[in-house]
Amino acid sequence: MAEHRGLLGGGWERMRHNKRYVVWFYGLNLALAWLGAAAFGNQAHEILDHSLQANRLVHGFDIGVLIEMFARPEFGSTMAAEAPAAHFALLFLIATALFLPGVLQGYASTFRLPRDDFFRACGRNLWRFIRLMIVAGIVMGAVAAALFGIHGLLEKKAPESTNELLLFEVRVAGLVVIFLVMTGLRIWFDLAQADVVLSDQRAVRRSIGSGFRHAWRDLGSLLGSYVLITIVAAIVLVAGLWAWMKFVPPASVLGAVLVSQLTLLLLLMPRFWQRGVAVTYYLQNMVEPIAVQPLTPVPGTSDPAPVVVIPSAPPETQGA
Amino acid sequence: MKIRWMIVFFPVVSVIVLSLVVQQHAAKGAAPQRTASVASPSVSSGALTIPDTTLAINSTLPMSQRVVHYEIDAKYDASNHTVDATEVLTYHNLTGQALDHFPFHLYQNAFQPNSTFVREAKVAGNRDTGYEKWESKEYGSEDIKSLEVVGQGDLTSKLQYIQPDDANKDDKTVADVQLSKPIAPGAYVQFKITFQTKFPETQARSGWKRDFVLGGQWFPKVGVWWHGAWNCHQYHAMTEFFADFGVYDVKLTVPQFEVVGASGVRVGEVNNPDNTKTVAYHGDDIHDFAWTASPRYKVKEATYQGQMGPVQMRILMQPAHGSQAERHENILRESLEHFESWYGPYPYKTITLVDPEPDSAAGGMEYPTFITGDTNWFMPKGLALPELVVEHEFGHQYWYGMVATNEFEDAWMDEGINSYTEVKVLDSILGKNTSILNLAGATLGEREEQRLGYIGVADLDPIAQKAYDYYSYNSYGGITYGKTASVLLTLESIIGEDTMAQAMHVYFMKYRFTHPTKEDFLKTIEEVSGKDLRWYFNQAFYGSPVMDYKVLKVESFPVNWYEDKKGSRDKDDKNTVHRSYVWLQRMEDFVIPVDVEVKFDNGEKVREHWDGVSRWTKFIYEKKAKVESAEIDPDHKIQVDRNDFNNSYTAEEHPKAGYKLTNYWVFITQLLGQVVAWWAV
Repeated sequence: MAEHRGLLGGGWERMRHNKRYVVWFYGLNLALAWLGAAAFGNQAHEILDHSLQANRLVHGFDIGVLIEMFARPEFGSTMAAEAPAAHFALLFLIATALFLPGVLQGYASTFRLPRDDFFRACGRNLWRFIRLMIVAGIVMGAVAAALFGIHGLLEKKAPESTNELLLFEVRVAGLVVIFLVMTGLRIWFDLAQADVVLSDQRAVRRSIGSGFRHAWRDLGSLLGSYVLITIVAAIVLVAGLWAWMKFVPPASVLGAVLVSQLTLLLLLMPRFWQRGVAVTYYLQNMVEPIAVQPLTPVPGTSDPAPVVVIPSAPPETQGA
Repeated sequence: MKIRWMIVFFPVVSVIVLSLVVQQHAAKGAAPQRTASVASPSVSSGALTIPDTTLAINSTLPMSQRVVHYEIDAKYDASNHTVDATEVLTYHNLTGQALDHFPFHLYQNAFQPNSTFVREAKVAGNRDTGYEKWESKEYGSEDIKSLEVVGQGDLTSKLQYIQPDDANKDDKTVADVQLSKPIAPGAYVQFKITFQTKFPETQARSGWKRDFVLGGQWFPKVGVWWHGAWNCHQYHAMTEFFADFGVYDVKLTVPQFEVVGASGVRVGEVNNPDNTKTVAYHGDDIHDFAWTASPRYKVKEATYQGQMGPVQMRILMQPAHGSQAERHENILRESLEHFESWYGPYPYKTITLVDPEPDSAAGGMEYPTFITGDTNWFMPKGLALPELVVEHEFGHQYWYGMVATNEFEDAWMDEGINSYTEVKVLDSILGKNTSILNLAGATLGEREEQRLGYIGVADLDPIAQKAYDYYSYNSYGGITYGKTASVLLTLESIIGEDTMAQAMHVYFMKYRFTHPTKEDFLKTIEEVSGKDLRWYFNQAFYGSPVMDYKVLKVESFPVNWYEDKKGSRDKDDKNTVHRSYVWLQRMEDFVIPVDVEVKFDNGEKVREHWDGVSRWTKFIYEKKAKVESAEIDPDHKIQVDRNDFNNSYTAEEHPKAGYKLTNYWVFITQLLGQVVAWWAV
């Protein structure tokens, strides 16, 4: 349990000391979503801006008006609004993959990582991360397909029961199982990512192997940490939506923007916290001390060359 | 055991346990049930007549002209989903002419792959299934094993399937029997029929699901002599039913563990030695009989004090819906109150409300004194779907049950008029804009929902046409329900809400227990309102023109614009006289006079009236103010306009709604991005 708290605390500290990354990713998330929503916004403004009917959406939220707006030919296909949203969501995924090595490097650093080093880490690990993502995609996709397949079969079978609630119970239980398994896999590849970046590992397969061994060895504490953080994320989302509905007047667009964006900003933090946990775990358990040969004394100096050993530093010694 | 192995075993064990639980429950649900022994058929004797009983109504005299008396003794085989029964039908020839043949509906034969019902459903759509592939559980049948006419002997061989609506020789939903001797006007004839009905898995609100059954349209039913001919249509994918009033005496034999509900009043129940029970029901002045059985119903009973006497409300709820029993009782009671207060008394002694098997296609159906609701175990109070369905189906006790219109030919007269009264009643009980949804700040009213159903299919079909002639199931639904309701709500703006209410009351009282036509209804409105409304009826009911009025443009500029000097045009000078134009356009063919409200930036409002005859019109003003906005139908009385957005125009942009929706969309996109990134990298 102490180890458990150490991981959570260490991960939190890394995330907290490098909160600029959360803010950057939030900015990226917002900018891409704004672009993704532009088509929808234009379509909506086209219909609503000169119509008094729009008041029913301002001073409340009349679903009938919304449905009629979607049905109008001048609104166009809903696909025209949905496709950009999906594409820009995908772009955020790619951007995350691109910049994540810099984040991991920053989390492991005992000092504020210079911008050059951040981007150097991103560039150096780009191809490695792509390979990692492909492997992770294959493994997680196959496992998810199998689990959702079983889940689907159970869902199909459950309605044969006269117990109406069984379908719901099976659905929830199945999703919990899938969530736990997928979280386990996520831990595996999070550790592999940390290993690739922080060990400067060119052979990605070694990092995958190392990540698997360590994820397996300490599955309990790692899974506990990840699940706890996910619960925090769920609470953040529910609380944010609740506050939005409870405290923001229907006509206050600014209030809605502030509450919704604050919720999304806070919602980004748990995943970075999990990254912090992965880096903490890596530094505590995965890094191998490397003895460096003493350097040849520099002529004209009497200082002996240092012997560098990368320590398994406790989280509290990691600086901002 | 190390924790990691426990974690690995957890999902594996979970999957196995879940599989076992599901398997066990599924097996339990699908377990065959004990079957009842064959009951002996009952045969009536003595002089032929239709009983003048009043056991099931709060009246000392019959309320309808009784044409039929059905005595059915039926035994339900729960494992095979079949009914074996004898039916004694006494028919009183009130047609004024001799009858030498009688057509019978055999509705359950619709559920066969080559039937007209299935053919149409495959092409035009259907409420329950599109018949992508045929499954044996979808099969239903209704076989007459023997048919005897008292005094004329066994006429089974004289039965032949007929197809009065199409040339589909494979359709067996109507059978006609030729008598050897005609039945004289005023005389009675008695048919003794043995038949077997096999129910499909629930379709079209009839059939079985797991161990539940809804017996609807399950016995051979004679057609209606209407306007000088037999009216006995085939069962179509988009049609419902039509039958004569009379008396029903039905005995149902089912396994003892079943909880039974049915039309009419329960008059007896005996347990049989073979673990079955026979439950007897009696119905007066009804034109159909439906029943249900399930071992798991939880029964709630209450009494409503009606205008003609007490009404027993019997509510059969699913076990997981116990917390909603009160909601069901409340909406049933409030519906009774509103209908009695607005339209006329409910004369029956019972109303049975069935909460059907979850996930069945048996929800939302009406039979005389017997209706089915539709709900789910999770139903927040702000989502009034159970109330919507129960109110709608109860409304059919008036518009179908008592005012028994021809649902094949004038479906709008039951579904549409009922949708109109549904809007009125739900508006009154749950609020005009919140009668369906009032949850987490989101709202939706029933009148808007009816209009939305219509506007998507506005130019496809007229209201007044046979139900099976609609382009598609969507068109049938949107026009029959949605357009009729919207047209009648709009009619209120022409004759007044109170006059419309009075017309509905007169229509009900005049035509209850009869089969009125569309003209009976429309003429009643004209008589009560004292107005010639043909111009409206011809467009709204008989034609298919679409209504779309638009504020084409508004424009204001200073009268002395030519004196304008650089920079002064935008100056906010309250003494500047502006010439303002408001252009209106009738974009489609539906012509209706409309009110228009023009609002100026000094707060002044001007009401105009446009007859809508020309394609466009304009209003010109000279005021020390500019036009701020113009709005057609400012009181929102017109429900049939296809596009409400262009009914108004503001001179300046008001982007707040657009920003609000865009913020929602940005939120969704961001959240989607975060979730995808969470799992994928």
